Amino acid sequence: MTASNEELDLKDRLNLIESMIAEGRRATGSWAWTFVFWGLAYYVAIAWTAWNQWPYAWLVTMMAAWALCWAIIRSKQKNQPERKPATTMGRAILSIWVAMGVSLALLLPALGFSGRFNQHVFVAVVAAMLAVANGASGMIIRWKAQIASAFVWWAATVVACFGSDNQCMAVFLVAIFLCQIVFGVYAMSCEARERRQGASHA
Amino acid sequence: MPELPELNPVIHGKLRLALLSLLIGVEEAEFTWLRSKTGSTDGNLGAQLLKLEEAGYVAVEKKFVQRKPQTLYRMTDAGRQALTEYVQALKQLLGGAITS
Repeated sequence: MTASNEELDLKDRLNLIESMIAEGRRATGSWAWTFVFWGLAYYVAIAWTAWNQWPYAWLVTMMAAWALCWAIIRSKQKNQPERKPATTMGRAILSIWVAMGVSLALLLPALGFSGRFNQHVFVAVVAAMLAVANGASGMIIRWKAQIASAFVWWAATVVACFGSDNQCMAVFLVAIFLCQIVFGVYAMSCEARERRQGASHA
Repeated sequence: MPELPELNPVIHGKLRLALLSLLIGVEEAEFTWLRSKTGSTDGNLGAQLLKLEEAGYVAVEKKFVQRKPQTLYRMTDAGRQALTEYVQALKQLLGGAITS
């Protein structure tokens, strides 16, 4: 083997290492659809509450959404040809969202049953929790779009505390649209692009 | 003239190098995932993973999940160290050391 051929072979190996490490990091599952899914679930709950003022509309919608979300995740896992490996980063992000979900699932019904619940507290709590989860996830993966999403939720938290009833509801609807629907669709398009790049690389 | 580093022969094989590079980015990986990422055959992949296991660079765990056998591989500390040293040696060789 000549010196230039040997150098090419070594460079080839270095490229192989880099591409395989990138492939391993790409191993996290696709979760962008859950943003859109939960955004729509929030809209359903808001519409239902506005329609007949039933006090349990949120609770029932959220429980149904949890069940449906779980069923979709299980179905997607079953249809995958091979289980994707866990990464430390993926586990860290999943932990944040699970902890946030558990906190909301405990806090909101507790506020409701204790009689300390009102629209402003509800929006402030939900927005603050979503801001923490989006902000932490965005900082872990260094994704500016998700950090921007966290800022929208933080702004919604403040408006919910100081604004009128109408302002509080309006900012909640806008935040859901921007941070769940628009961000979710954008994240899905990013995932699709990454999958295409991965496929062409393979 | 400084002495050129030697490349670890266990890691130098392309498939073994690809496997260690894949495993360094994940906590553990299934045999089927490694196969799909490397495009290797079952026999070749199994043989190369065995060599890495014998060298102490990967650890294997076999278990049953919903009655289906599952083989999981994860990189050991020795494997991580060996790959790091390999990359350093590779960079040193590429850093103008090959002159003739």
